[in-house]
Amino acid sequence: MFRGALWLLAGRGCVGRGLSTRSGGSTPDWTEKVSEIKKKIQSALPGGAWDPLYDTSHLPPEHSDVVIVGGGVLGLSVAYWLKRLEKPRGAIRVLVVDRDHTYSRASTGLSVGGIRQQFSLPENIQLSLFSVDFLRNINEYLAVVDDPPLDVQFNPSGYLLLASEKGAAIMENNVKVQRPDMAALPSVITMVSQEQESATDRSPSLTRDIRQEGAKVCLMSPEQLQNKFPWINTDGVALASYGFSTSSSRMQTSGGKEMTLKRIHEVHVKMDHSLEYQPVECALVINAAGAWSGQVAELAGIGKGPPGTLEGTKLPVEPRKRYVYFWHCPEGPGLETPFMADTSGAYFRREGLGHNYLGGCSPTEEEEPDPGNLEVDHDFFQDKVWPHLAHRVPAFQSLKVRSAWAGYYDYNTFDQNGVVGPHPLVVNMYFATGFSGHGLQQAPAVGRAVAEMVLKGQFQTIDLSSLLFSRFYLGEKVEERNII
Amino acid sequence: MLKIIIPTIMLIPLTWLSKSNMMWINSTIYSLMISMVCLPLMNQPCDNSLNLSMLFFSDSLSTPLLMLTTWLLPLMIIASQYHMTKEPLARKKLYITMMILLQIFLIMTFSATELIMFYILFEATLVPTLIIITRWGGQTERLNAGIYFLFYTLAGSLPLLVALTYTQTTLGSLNMLLTQYLTERLTHVWGDSLLWLAFMLAFMVKMPLYGLHLWLPKAHVEAPIAGSMVLAAILLKLGGYGMLRITMMLNPTVNFMAYPFMMLSMWGMVMTSSICLRQTDLKSLIAYSSVSHMALVIMAILIQSPWSFMGATALMIAHGLTSSLLFCLANSNYERTHSRTMILVRGLQMILPLMAAWWLLASLTNLALPPSINLIGELFVTVSMFSWSNFSIILLGINITITALYTLYMLIMTQRGKYTYHIHNIKPSYTRENTLMLLHLTPLLLLMINPKIILGTMY
Repeated sequence: MFRGALWLLAGRGCVGRGLSTRSGGSTPDWTEKVSEIKKKIQSALPGGAWDPLYDTSHLPPEHSDVVIVGGGVLGLSVAYWLKRLEKPRGAIRVLVVDRDHTYSRASTGLSVGGIRQQFSLPENIQLSLFSVDFLRNINEYLAVVDDPPLDVQFNPSGYLLLASEKGAAIMENNVKVQRPDMAALPSVITMVSQEQESATDRSPSLTRDIRQEGAKVCLMSPEQLQNKFPWINTDGVALASYGFSTSSSRMQTSGGKEMTLKRIHEVHVKMDHSLEYQPVECALVINAAGAWSGQVAELAGIGKGPPGTLEGTKLPVEPRKRYVYFWHCPEGPGLETPFMADTSGAYFRREGLGHNYLGGCSPTEEEEPDPGNLEVDHDFFQDKVWPHLAHRVPAFQSLKVRSAWAGYYDYNTFDQNGVVGPHPLVVNMYFATGFSGHGLQQAPAVGRAVAEMVLKGQFQTIDLSSLLFSRFYLGEKVEERNII
Repeated sequence: MLKIIIPTIMLIPLTWLSKSNMMWINSTIYSLMISMVCLPLMNQPCDNSLNLSMLFFSDSLSTPLLMLTTWLLPLMIIASQYHMTKEPLARKKLYITMMILLQIFLIMTFSATELIMFYILFEATLVPTLIIITRWGGQTERLNAGIYFLFYTLAGSLPLLVALTYTQTTLGSLNMLLTQYLTERLTHVWGDSLLWLAFMLAFMVKMPLYGLHLWLPKAHVEAPIAGSMVLAAILLKLGGYGMLRITMMLNPTVNFMAYPFMMLSMWGMVMTSSICLRQTDLKSLIAYSSVSHMALVIMAILIQSPWSFMGATALMIAHGLTSSLLFCLANSNYERTHSRTMILVRGLQMILPLMAAWWLLASLTNLALPPSINLIGELFVTVSMFSWSNFSIILLGINITITALYTLYMLIMTQRGKYTYHIHNIKPSYTRENTLMLLHLTPLLLLMINPKIILGTMY
């Protein structure tokens, strides 16, 4: 029993390892022999259901204070800020679970990687501003002692947004007013274009809200991001499905109407390619599952009810496929290329120093590709993206596409802006998802906001109360006019 | 004494043969009745002790502890009802059986006459406790906790067995009533010092003394609620009781052998109180506060003055009730939010105001507010320690301050302030939980009126 317990504790450290090293180090042979003997006995005897001492070190722990569903940049950002903002150190146990530890279909790894502050919604601008600041000073936040400093390939080359004729003059004036010192590289360049697309509704608010702080950045690769969180238990648990175990209680609102509030007690984490599953008892669940947040929310019972009621309001986040193309153009723009977004919706940026570019275009509603797989449609580039690019940048008339990939937007079908904060009915589920293509650039700030909401009960640095879930029920759209 | 032991043994068939819907009720009510039967033991006819038989006796030291033990069993059963709901019926019965078995051993331990019988039952209490911790505890760390608990206590008490058998062969009898009249005194030679150490080590580990206390935070935190209650309330006091009985035989060696343990206790008391200020886990905070209070008891027993013995006994009873109450309160939090972290569950006063009242009272008794019996214990110990050595008042004063600090920190953190969003739909307090808290508080508050029954033999 002692040896068996020793073997069991080997995964936990402390007693097991300490005792074995003191006894001379023959314990590994012993544990193998013990497991072999166990297997022989088990194969000889008829199988029983009760196996009290099997090794569960590959499963997630049985208990965690916060479970973050989704290990992309938003989930990891929330985990980082939770650990960073907790007052006594080591107070909260955070578990990040992701369905695929290779991140092959995660939006984080497939993103184009641009960051901008030209939003119309003030919250979005503040989020991006903080995120830029985070990435500029990333070594203050994420550096690990004795490791080399991080290099996130931060390229402040500017973000170019195009507006049409009408609003351009106003925009230029306002930009000059807000940024009297134009000595440095201008961070926002506005150009007059010949298209008649009416950008009037976006320009006044743009110029009113933009604070010219920093430049735009190409985001670092997510692998670097996820390697630098030392306190977090990111076991990389691969799983194929989730389940929640909830309890509900009926309560009455002050108007006498009956509502059912729910609590999530356990998250059932099922291991990939096996039948093992581990119920993780938790106090909070944070839904940062990106494109699949809607499905995770349905597992918790969000949206099951008569439509039009709060119970029946689903989380309107669904995956939308977007293509990214990588091409080479020897006469293309050089080092000073900003991340350019054309008025037609096509965008591109410079990648590296060898005249390579990344870019794409958001399809219109009618042309939405099927999000069932991540196959790339090359005709889309030929028909929709290349003409606009070639028109905007004449050098792109001759280019060679090297590769292409597709990724998902966690598209918020309601108003294309993120959902942050708790759900009114499922009381211990928080959201950090639905950013529809600008999640990666706002991840540090959103993570901090969610951590503040969890730890302090309210948003403290950036007030994101307009992005709460309740707006879906109340029908208040928080629209962003500058969607790429 | 058989009138207590036989009914407690018969609680086991009661549990196994009850109908499933009456099982909890039966065991609770009958164990409450048994604790009522214990009350007449308080009627001590003479200064010495109530000698009931060759094997069992009860005097004014063991009677309050016996009362505490029998009072605690119904409370443990009440507290376990919620987290056992999902278990199959046989396992529930097994759980209650473990608790009853533990109860039987504890009753016999506290009333044993022979020291060898005391030792056997002292060891026997480890087995049901280990089963409760490792089988029904919360997290995977409970296996580690169980092993620490078992081996610390076993390793400490093995020398005790040797010492007891040696004394039995030399003295001829280990009857506690007779050893009081021991005329042979221990000397200052090495052998006698080691004998002293062998006697005391088991109880030091059980108390626990500061250097040997590592098992306690683990065991208390990982145990289920009934396990935590019985550990905090009774099992720690087994060590105190044993020390109180044995020191009568061990003069005058104790006068100089006590110094290392006094130092460890004084330092440990301040250290563990300070650790409480940095704890994030609620149960861990209460566990460390237990270590701190028990350090006071160890110091009181080692200086062997009438006031200190009175203080030690009072403190043991008071701490048993308070600590058990705090664990029940922490468990009521845990059952609702599935997290023991304090910062995730705040501002409960707004949501559960009656429970906040119990939290307040528990915190007030924990920080030894006058006129509670906790204060009587601490005050007597402090005063007698001051007369033993003037310098110790500094450390004792620091400890009392830090105790108040961490207790208030725990109260304010869990009860006051704006509540966290995700607890606003927790279930309101059950009557069962309120009963549990009240049953803890009633003796605690009523004893304020007549504390002399818990002041032990020296009163």
